[in-house]
Formats: sequence, structure tokens, C-alpha cells
Amino acid sequence: MAILEIKSVSKFFGGLAANSDVSFSVEQGTIMGLIGPNGAGKTTLFNCITGYYPPSRGEVIFDGRRMNGLQPDKVCMLGMVRTWQKVRPLAKLSVIDNVMVGALAHTSSLKHARELAMEQLKVVRLEHREDFLAGGLPIGERKKLEVARALATKPKLLLLDEVMGGLNPAESEEIIQLILDIKAQGLTQMVIEHDMKAIMRISDRIVVLTSGEKLTEGTPQEVVSNQDVIDAYLGESHA
Amino acid sequence: MTKTILKAVVGLILLAALLVVPRYVESPYALHMMILLFLSVSQGQSWNILGGYAGQYSVGHAAYFGVGAYTTMMLMHSKQVVPWVGVWVGVAIVIVVALVIGSICFRLRGPYFVLASIAVAEIMRLSAINLTTLTNGAEGILATEIPAFKIGERVITDFLTKVPFYYIGLFLALLTIGITYWVQHSKLGYYFQAIREDQDAAHSLGIHITIYKNIGLVISAVLTSLAGAFYGIYVGFVDPPTVLGLDVSVQIMLICIIGGMGTIWGPVLGSLLLVPLSEALRSNMITEGLVKVGLVSADSRVGLFLKENLAHAHVLLYGILVVLVILFMPEGLMGFLKKLAPRRNREAV
Ligand SMILES: Nc1ncnc2c1ncn2[C@@H]1O[C@H](COP(=O)(O)OP(=O)(O)OP(=O)(O)O)[C@@H](O)[C@H]1O
Ligand SMILES: [Mg+2]
Repeated sequence: MAILEIKSVSKFFGGLAANSDVSFSVEQGTIMGLIGPNGAGKTTLFNCITGYYPPSRGEVIFDGRRMNGLQPDKVCMLGMVRTWQKVRPLAKLSVIDNVMVGALAHTSSLKHARELAMEQLKVVRLEHREDFLAGGLPIGERKKLEVARALATKPKLLLLDEVMGGLNPAESEEIIQLILDIKAQGLTQMVIEHDMKAIMRISDRIVVLTSGEKLTEGTPQEVVSNQDVIDAYLGESHA
Repeated sequence: MTKTILKAVVGLILLAALLVVPRYVESPYALHMMILLFLSVSQGQSWNILGGYAGQYSVGHAAYFGVGAYTTMMLMHSKQVVPWVGVWVGVAIVIVVALVIGSICFRLRGPYFVLASIAVAEIMRLSAINLTTLTNGAEGILATEIPAFKIGERVITDFLTKVPFYYIGLFLALLTIGITYWVQHSKLGYYFQAIREDQDAAHSLGIHITIYKNIGLVISAVLTSLAGAFYGIYVGFVDPPTVLGLDVSVQIMLICIIGGMGTIWGPVLGSLLLVPLSEALRSNMITEGLVKVGLVSADSRVGLFLKENLAHAHVLLYGILVVLVILFMPEGLMGFLKKLAPRRNREAV
């Protein structure tokens, strides 16, 4: 069953089509990879899905419900939550408080929220940073904090925008394991990533965007052997 | 744990001391200073909830202060409504005003919100000047006769001394501190701070930005209007510049910025610094002091100049203070003190 359906979504900024007639759907419990060169429109698509921009055309259907026009907070309450390519920690709050803000989406009790938050910190292995200020964390830990905070809102679909960006190989490996662990819990994910090896490993299917348009879609094997993808995106590096 | 107990004990002792002050202090001037201090704490704390916690820098809080003060005074003066009833009418009006202001200003972010908040307060001030039938215009409202406060036949207080005002002021200060404490330890406070730190991130985590900003504004505005009503009744006089002027808004904000935004004790520290300072300036204590230690002579040109002008210099001095605080203590006195104290290793290396 498809939990998310993107139907002919376009997004224009003035004359620029950041997304142009993009359609695909994401099956429950799977990981959908989203790749494409810089400026391909990946983040814009996330913004359209999560309510930051209304799509100029087309529809976003989540869990059988039309999402166009809903604000991000409503989208979150319905079960879709995203992380940010450029991380957005609540800098002057502690790590646990950051995650608690996420957990408070479903409870008003701080005590309960703290328990939920602590669980998520353990999931991303950040519990030793509980009392640190979020703004002071190194980048690798900030990325994990983004994930923990998003998970604390108890999503049905998690959208990760380049969570491995700027990380060293060891840190990336940790994130890959984390994503796989989350999948094992049954959570559906959509993952934007530039690292081809990583995205190949984790994705059940991959959508390739170039210049706002969907170039192709398929299993990781289909995508890497697609001549258009090799020409347009992978280019020399995989030649 | 022992630290919490220690804090509670110190707090209780302090509270007890504040409660018995009027028993031992008879000087009206000393009581007056304490009342000003309480007023300042309530103002700063009210602003803190919206500005310090939710990060919405209103430079128009005079609007709520003024509406609270004017409503209570107008009702008492022309309709003989007792102030402890009138104040709630003021609160009701302020809630409406705040929601109207919120629905307009919260469409805007950052500096635009600041400008809009100033504009709205200025509109209120100009209305007070021009709606003469209602507000008596620029002349203001003088009403010093407060009816005695009775329960049944028993007179609780007749407001003839400063003592009842002392206790009302103390109550107001404690109320605002208590509400701030509650905000900080509730979902509300977490959401306010999330909005302050990063509005987009907060939005993505399920926080309805507009609703929470408006909740913050209403709490802040209602408390400010209580302070305004208290001020009006205590002084017995309101006119547009003293309760609706831009410098009132700035003063309210400075108490909090100088003391430390988004902390419970910031506005208290800010008041402890600013109230004596502005009092010293107003009453020319500084010039007298300089004369006393022989730095300037009272009838020299410098002495006369200082005497003439220092009293009006508090705005300038506040400006200088703000610059200094922003440069050297961006987190206010509280932040500065926290840095001095030894603390747990809170920042990652
Ligand atoms: N708010 C905006 N206003 C105008 N143009 C925008 C806006 N947001 C994105 N764009 C443009 O839309 C295009 C797609 O940007 P987007 O950020 O979605 O790309 P991306 O695939 O996420 O790239 P990257 O891999 O660098 O993160 C770019 O040309 C970008 O400049
Ligand atoms: Mg991007």
C-alpha cells in the first residue's frame, strides 16, 4: 500500500520550475531514495510535501489524505516529519529539551515527554549529550539530534534531507545503521542523499530528479544501470 | 537535591522579609522605592514571557500598559467603578486589543514585527490624545480618591498610606514571577522557546506558530495591563506620554534585556539596577553627589548644567546602557552571572 503519493507536483519560483510534473509513490515500510545533482529540486520537493510551500500544481496524498494547503505543524501531527539539510538545532536549549519539543506533539506532560525524548536519544546514541546545549554540538551529533527530534514526534513517514552531508565515513556508517534500524521498526522513510554507495545500500527504490523533473525511478540496480542516469547524473565518476 | 532545599529556604526567608517590611519601614520614600521596584519587576517579567521566551520583541508594550491604566482610571473617575473591578474591564479590553494586534503583527517576522508593534502603540497614544471625550485628551485623568476596600462592612484598607500599594505591588511582582516559572516549566514554555530559537524548525515539529505566539502575547499583555492599572491608581494620574509613550515601551523592554531575557530572575536583576538608577537621575542625586565629593560646585556652570539636564538624561543613559549590555553582556546580567559561577560542563568541545 502506498503511504505517500506524489501526483504531478510542480513548483515554480517565478519562471524557474524547481519541480516539474513529478509523480511517484512510496510504499509503506520501505525506504525511498531521492537523488539528483545540486539544484535538482530535491529539497523543494520535501518543502512541498511537508507544507512549507504549497505545490504550484499537482497533489500530495499522504495516508489517503490530500495534503495540499496544510501547514507544516498539521502535516507533522498527521504523521510526516522532516529533517533539515542545513541543520536547525534549537541552539540555546539542551539536547534533551530539543527532543522534548518533538515529543510534546503528543503529550502535555513534561515528564512523559522527557521519557519519550530519552528513548529517542538512545536510538540515535546521543544520551551522553543529554544536558549539552544543542548549539555547541559538532555537526555529526547535530545531524543525529535532528533525527531524534523528528522521531520523537512519532511519525509514520520520516523525510531525511542529506543527514549524511558533511559527515566523515565513520559517522555516515552510523547514520546508515540508524536508518536501517528505523526501517526495521517499520517506519517508512524518504531519504535525500548525495553519497551513491550509501543510497544504494539503504533504498528499496530510488527516484532521480534533474532540473526539477523526474528522470527515472526504480530499484537501486535499475537506476545505476540506466543510461540516462549515467549520462545526466553519475557522469564521469561512474564511467 | 540539597540545592533545591537551600533555594526554597532562601526564597521563603526573602519572602517573609518582604512581607514584614512595612511593619518596620515607615519612610514613605523607602516604600515608594519598593513599590517602583515591584512595578518594574511586573513590567519586565510580563515582557519577558513574550520577548524573552517566545522571542517576539515587542516595542509596543505601552499599548497594554496604557490601556490597563486608562480603563481603570476612566471607569473610576467618570463612572465611579472601583478599581478592583475596573481593572478586569481593562484586562478584557486588553485581550481584545492583543488579539487584534497579534493577528496583524504576527504575520510579520523579526524587524517587521518590531516596527508594527511600535506603530500600534503609537496609534493608541494618538487615540488617547484625540478621543478627548473619553480620555480627557492631553490633559490626562487625575483621580486620587480611591474608595476604601471593604469586605461586607469591614474596611480592609482605605488606601491612605503606601502600605496597601506595597502589598498589591508585591503580589503583582510575585504573580508575574510565578507565571513565568509556570511557563518555563510547561509545554507552553518549550514551544515558546522553540519558536524563538527557530521558527521553521518549530513549525515542522507540530507547533502551530500563530496560536502559540498569540497565547504568549495575551499572557504578556494581560500582566502588563495589570501593572498599568496598578500604576494609574498608585500615582493617581495618567496622561498619554506617561503611560502610552514610546519610552514606556522601551523601558519595559530594557528591564528584561538588561537583566537577561528568557530567565526567571533576569527582570528582577534588571529592576534592581534600573529603578535606583532612574530614581537617582530623576531626583538629581548624581549632581548632588558630585557636589558633595567636591568634584563640581553647586553654583558653577557645570553644576547648574548637570542639575538642569541630568534629570532628563535617563533616556540617553538607557541608550548607553543597552549598547554596553549588548556589547559586553549579550545575555544580560543573568548571563553574565552564570558565566562567573562554576557550572556543569554544558557545551561540547
Ligand atoms: N525559496 C526559493 N525561491 C527561489 N528559488 C528557489 C527557492 N528554493 C529553491 N529555489 C531554487 O530551486 C532550485 C532547486 O533547489 P533545491 O534546494 O530544491 O535543490 P536540491 O536538489 O535540494 O539541491 P542541493 O542538492 O544543493 O540541496 C534551485 O535552482 C534553487 O535555487
Ligand atoms: Mg537540498
